[in-house]
Amino acid sequence: MVPVKSRPLLLLFALALCVACSKPERVAPAAVAGDENTPQDGGTLIRRLESDINGVNPVLEKSKYDRYIDIYLFSPLVNLDVNLRPSPGLAEKWEISPDGKQYTFHLAPKATFSNGKPVLASDVLYTLKKIIDPDSEAAQVAPGFQTTDLANTKVIDPHTIVIAFKEPDASQMIHFNDLLTVPEEIYSKGNFKNDYINTAVGSGPYRLVRRVPGKEVLLERREDYWGQKPYLKNVLFKVVIDAQTAWNALKHGDIDETAIGSDVWLMESKRADLQRTIDFRRFYTLNYNYIAWNERDPILADKRVRRALGMCLDVGSIINNLYHGTARAVSGPFTPDQFGFNPNVPVLPFDPVQAKRLLNDAGWFDSNGDGILDKGGKPLKLELSIFAGSVAALPVAQLLQEELKKVGVELNIAPIDPALAIQRIIGGNYQAAYLAWDLDPDPNPFPQFHSSQIPPAGQNFVYYINPAADKLIAAAGRELDFNKRVKLFQELHAMLAEDQPYTWVNQVSVKWALNKRVKNVKESRGWGLFTWYPGEMDWWIPRDQRTHEVVAATTTTH
Amino acid sequence: MTAYVVRRCLYAVLTFVGITIATFALIHAVPGDPITFYLSNHMNPSRPALEAIRHEYHLDEPLVTQYVYWAKGVMTFDFGRSTLDRRPVRERILNKLPNTLLLNFIAFLLAALIGLPIGLWSAARSGRALERASAVGFFLLYSLPSFWVALLLMQLFAIRLDILPIFGMTSDEYPTLSAMQQLADRARHLILPVITLSYAQLAIYVRFSKSALTEVIRQDFITTARAKGATPAAVMWRHALRNALIPLVTLLGLTIPSLISGSVIVEAIFQWDGIGHLYFESILSRDYPTVLGLTVATAIVTLFASLFADVLYAVADPRIRFGGDTP
Repeated sequence: MVPVKSRPLLLLFALALCVACSKPERVAPAAVAGDENTPQDGGTLIRRLESDINGVNPVLEKSKYDRYIDIYLFSPLVNLDVNLRPSPGLAEKWEISPDGKQYTFHLAPKATFSNGKPVLASDVLYTLKKIIDPDSEAAQVAPGFQTTDLANTKVIDPHTIVIAFKEPDASQMIHFNDLLTVPEEIYSKGNFKNDYINTAVGSGPYRLVRRVPGKEVLLERREDYWGQKPYLKNVLFKVVIDAQTAWNALKHGDIDETAIGSDVWLMESKRADLQRTIDFRRFYTLNYNYIAWNERDPILADKRVRRALGMCLDVGSIINNLYHGTARAVSGPFTPDQFGFNPNVPVLPFDPVQAKRLLNDAGWFDSNGDGILDKGGKPLKLELSIFAGSVAALPVAQLLQEELKKVGVELNIAPIDPALAIQRIIGGNYQAAYLAWDLDPDPNPFPQFHSSQIPPAGQNFVYYINPAADKLIAAAGRELDFNKRVKLFQELHAMLAEDQPYTWVNQVSVKWALNKRVKNVKESRGWGLFTWYPGEMDWWIPRDQRTHEVVAATTTTH
Repeated sequence: MTAYVVRRCLYAVLTFVGITIATFALIHAVPGDPITFYLSNHMNPSRPALEAIRHEYHLDEPLVTQYVYWAKGVMTFDFGRSTLDRRPVRERILNKLPNTLLLNFIAFLLAALIGLPIGLWSAARSGRALERASAVGFFLLYSLPSFWVALLLMQLFAIRLDILPIFGMTSDEYPTLSAMQQLADRARHLILPVITLSYAQLAIYVRFSKSALTEVIRQDFITTARAKGATPAAVMWRHALRNALIPLVTLLGLTIPSLISGSVIVEAIFQWDGIGHLYFESILSRDYPTVLGLTVATAIVTLFASLFADVLYAVADPRIRFGGDTP
């Protein structure tokens, strides 16, 4: 207790002194004029983490923030390019067997880990085994490899590996982006799950200098990197939880990038003084908001009822009034950035008149004149679960409630604690729920819409059972010809839009603010600014605009 | 006296066990568990991996067995590993505890050092115009929401005037600074969070010390003291203040636990890496080991503080010592 007690007193004293103190000096940027278009080597980028990472073991990756760091430290077996299609990564090239079950990867022969040792096919095999071993608890990476056929997976030579699967899966290629190879020699020592939380040895362009939990992660470029060397010498991630603080810090120049909310976008992104120093971006990522209709419920089992309910949601008003035009309507299970998207499928229109007609067709009439439709003596009452505390869900639910009331449907809104809501929904114990999905670049609709995946097996908690859709999902899963697969997915998109197991609501754009000193920032089709290739690896900062060089200076002492 | 302290200690141990059982039952009674985290974050998490997690954290066993596993660990100060980032819970807490202690202690000290004298002054000048005005002022201060005040302070001092840092506990340059500069750097980072934390506490101390003293001033022995010719200052300091100590000790006892409890809002806004956010985050993600570890830490400090207060009562008031019961 003693040192703790004496220190605050000392600090109090210093507090009084410090009014006179000036800010610690930063190294003045060297006044070298640079060409705006020619990338310049060096510099430190300061990025924001909205939440601390869970660790730097790529097999145990849990959040997108973990991936933000891992992508600098480890080279994925396969990269995803600007269109999120596979491109060379640790593997220079690959072949897929005609039956779609075997993938032969040829690793970049020059590839080395940050400890200088070469990356071998046996390291890839070791990592793959770790991923699929349930004891690794790789709950989020493992699903992409659950049909791996280890008996036929083998190392051909030090730089060639064949990875085999029990069944062909056309979307498998995308999952190799999650295979971030770790060196067997290092990671097989000690406890795999516990000993590599704060240390990393990878084959990526950067190495980990330090991680201070709750504060920062500092990366330094590997001068011995075997691939295309990035421009930035250091990347410093700072944990800044609060959005308002992050926005202030960005304006002040303390961080170089942050996501911003709709309010900041609306109020401040048009300000000329800010536009001089800040680069505002808006783009769509792979996700959508939707209303899930539980078809196990007798009312919702009827497609006409689901369509009618969906037609009472004024998506246009939500987009314009709630999101100020920074969102877009979604017609089905694929977003416009995905190849499965069917441009010919219209968004379900807002049409209460047609909705009433559909409900009448389905046998719902107001026979007792109480303003609520009924059928067989039962009134048309529904409960919509939303996550308690969700700022966006409540107005959407209320708007739907209002419109449904006019048609004669009583909608009860139930805000439920998120953990409880998830438990109920994945167990199928709900009527309707307002939810959101984050999607894969090459999504497999199997877990959500295949009839075999109803609870407790999978995530088909709307109990959507349609043999025709099952057939399409299965066929698309096996189809290795990309163009044929696009056709199958587009057909499925139309079928699901017609059946309305979900009412797709909208896709909210992501808004980002970046310091203009950061150059060459590009957006991918669906992943925004980060984790695709080259993405953030291509960023650079002109020499005369570097304000954080001190950071880099301190790192060399570590 | 010794018997009194020993009895208090025994009560404390029993209370501690009670607290752990209650917390354990409560956190498990709340819907969802650490697995829910994965189900809500991923469209299709690996079911075998989830089973492995369930098994590792004994979630597949009866609640009583889980408690025994956990209690065994606690005996050896092993609180297990976080279900979120797998770091030992003890390390997670001990990393953040000094930060929270430092911030809260300075805020407490500042609030108490300013608040208590003002309270005593208010009691002596009770009812006068200036005192009433200051009382209204402190109430207003107390009712300002801290997230709003924090952002205003940040806007003014960190952005407009640009003399204080926006967030964090130290600057990036910290490792390269001299000892004196490091101290100044830390102090500069402390100013805004300390102000935000202490302005509301200030009002509490003023009100509390004023009412404690006012209570005493009304009693007969004060009139006696005045009647026998003691100066107003002597009445105040020698007779009144000494007797107002008991409620102040109570307040102190109540304050100590709050020194380690942290503040979710201030910590988030100024990115002060403390206990408050850890608690918040681990409850949201149902990180059982961390929630329980934090509860144990808070419980121990709370029990020690009330034990400490109990002993101080006994020192301050002989009747408690002999009567054997707190008032």
